[in-house]
Amino acid sequence: MEVVPVSVGVASRAWDEQHLDLAAASRQIDRAGSDGFTAAVSGTAARFSGAWTRFAGDLGTDCESRADGLRAAITEYVATDDLSFHELLALGAYLTETR
Amino acid sequence: MTTVTVPAEPRTVPALVVDPEAIRGCGADLRAASAQIDDLGTFVAGGARIGDWTGLGATSYHDAIGPTGRRADAMSLALRAVARRVDAHADEMARLRTGRDDLVDARTDLIRAIATLRAEIAAATEADAVRLQLESDGLARRVTAFEQDLTTWVDAVGAEETAMAEAFDRVLTLEQVERAYGGVADPADGALATKPPAGATPEAVNDWWDGLTREQQLAVVVAAPGAIGNLPGIPARDRHAANTVALDRDLADWGSLHPDLLTDDERRWLDNARAADEARREIASRADPATGEPITAQVYLYDPAAFDGDGRIAVSAGDLGTADNVAVVVPGLGTDATSAPYHADRAATLYEAARTLDHHQTNATLFWIGYDAPDNLPWEDGWDAAGVVREDLAEAGGARLADTVDGLRASRDGEPAHLTAIGHSYGSTTVGHGAHDEGLAVDDIVVVGSPGLGGDTEHASELGIDPGHVWAGANSNDPVADLGNHGAFHLEVLGGLGLGDDPVEDDFGAHRFQAESTSRGGPNPFLDHSKYFDHDTESLANITRIVNGDYDAVRHADHVYDPWLGGPEDPEAQRRPTAPNTFDG
Repeated sequence: MEVVPVSVGVASRAWDEQHLDLAAASRQIDRAGSDGFTAAVSGTAARFSGAWTRFAGDLGTDCESRADGLRAAITEYVATDDLSFHELLALGAYLTETR
Repeated sequence: MTTVTVPAEPRTVPALVVDPEAIRGCGADLRAASAQIDDLGTFVAGGARIGDWTGLGATSYHDAIGPTGRRADAMSLALRAVARRVDAHADEMARLRTGRDDLVDARTDLIRAIATLRAEIAAATEADAVRLQLESDGLARRVTAFEQDLTTWVDAVGAEETAMAEAFDRVLTLEQVERAYGGVADPADGALATKPPAGATPEAVNDWWDGLTREQQLAVVVAAPGAIGNLPGIPARDRHAANTVALDRDLADWGSLHPDLLTDDERRWLDNARAADEARREIASRADPATGEPITAQVYLYDPAAFDGDGRIAVSAGDLGTADNVAVVVPGLGTDATSAPYHADRAATLYEAARTLDHHQTNATLFWIGYDAPDNLPWEDGWDAAGVVREDLAEAGGARLADTVDGLRASRDGEPAHLTAIGHSYGSTTVGHGAHDEGLAVDDIVVVGSPGLGGDTEHASELGIDPGHVWAGANSNDPVADLGNHGAFHLEVLGGLGLGDDPVEDDFGAHRFQAESTSRGGPNPFLDHSKYFDHDTESLANITRIVNGDYDAVRHADHVYDPWLGGPEDPEAQRRPTAPNTFDG
């Protein structure tokens, strides 16, 4: 069984932070919008803003998935280890000759 | 009968509906977002790697995150490039808008001239024909020149619009982003690798910065705003750009979360960020009295988490990099980063006065919350000897102030600025320590409402500059200004709690200028401690004259003196205050 160190949990939190930062970035790009440009530019500016709002949002979603993946690894490890612990306890009864 | 040919009226100048300031805002948002995305690339290359995790799961994880980092790096570079193009577009459209105004004026003149000529022709005789035709020919040449200018202008608008639209179009899909920027080295990386180490002099920092290409500089602004935003030696405009990226990012990050999700520290930092935002907006909302244009605001210092959350913020009214006269205003009691809007108002007020009294010179006034000032206000919290009267915060602040001034000096090209340090209240103690202990590199020192310039400074000549350039103002009714040592009586004798000698006393050797207020007095004497920067006061007028180097115009006041018998005497208390005009707005 592979050991999952605490640093995996630390990394999962950091990915969560990245998710929040990119969600904020996505909103910033959305806010940038197309106000102020001339009519000849504003359409392209709006398309750009819309596309990049989505790109940044998707990148943030990727970060969230990465955090979820690491948490899943931790959960699996903890569950496996818990099972091992109980099996270990059960096996303990057979370690000594009873009669 | 001779016919005089009159030129046709010139074409109408097309409308140009554009808002360069809004476009600049768009560029700032894109740049701040680019910085966020860049952070992800940096994270994947460093913090996301889990060194002590091994096995199949770890291998799978590390293989998977690589492409995410590469995508983030490419997206950051693409967004940064678009942001730069948007900035350039804002500048160009502002220029073209001004050009349109000129064309409209020129067309109006031509139409008027044509109408005048027609009227003259209508009333003319045959004898006038030759002269009128010559006039008409001259007018026709002007119309032709106008038409050429108009064509050039229309072409320029079209070309600029096309260039901007193409810049957006080039990166509308992630495939385009990957093709253009995938695997491309960030210009910021090479630049940051050669950055001078911590502790380098402002001159060394400035040499490094000047040695970078503009592309590298702009890349560092976005990729690592924290590395240069508060670094002495970096030019003000680039510090401002970096701090704007950092500030906008913080506002977006913390501001987008529900307050319950923020830690206590983050809530304080967000308050500080919002105060910085409000400060820069306050300055930019005011108009230069000479030009009518919005006052340039530069975020020179931004560190919302400094001093255990009190924060560090400095924002200027005016361009610190080019102004003829630069004033650094150091506040005192009760100041932390959340006070920034209040001090922005003061900085803008001083700027307005400086430009009103002498519009031939350019100015920048920087409010500097760059040290850990005493938090408590005696009129609200009572006298707190531990916070207000001790000098240690002023000593530390003086060293920081000297670094700031050295940075301002080193970062400017061309003629050095005429630089004035202005200390108000405990800020004057900070200025005093900066000058006495650190050799503050300023041309003039001004203190108002001063409780003393530090226990080690007994005379203006000990401040490292010509004492003829040390100036002090005190409202005779200001209780804080009355705290300084007088004559033989020193507060130091009360357990070492004094802040030094009264700088408006005759023994100190500073020029005392008039600083009374027409509204002096009243039930709360502490209000007189806060009037020195109000418009139409003696104090602001005299501070402004010193800041502008107009020394002969400073209105001097008689010093406080301390006779053997009785307490100190302030002749200013008997004088009728005046209200000199400092602003026509």
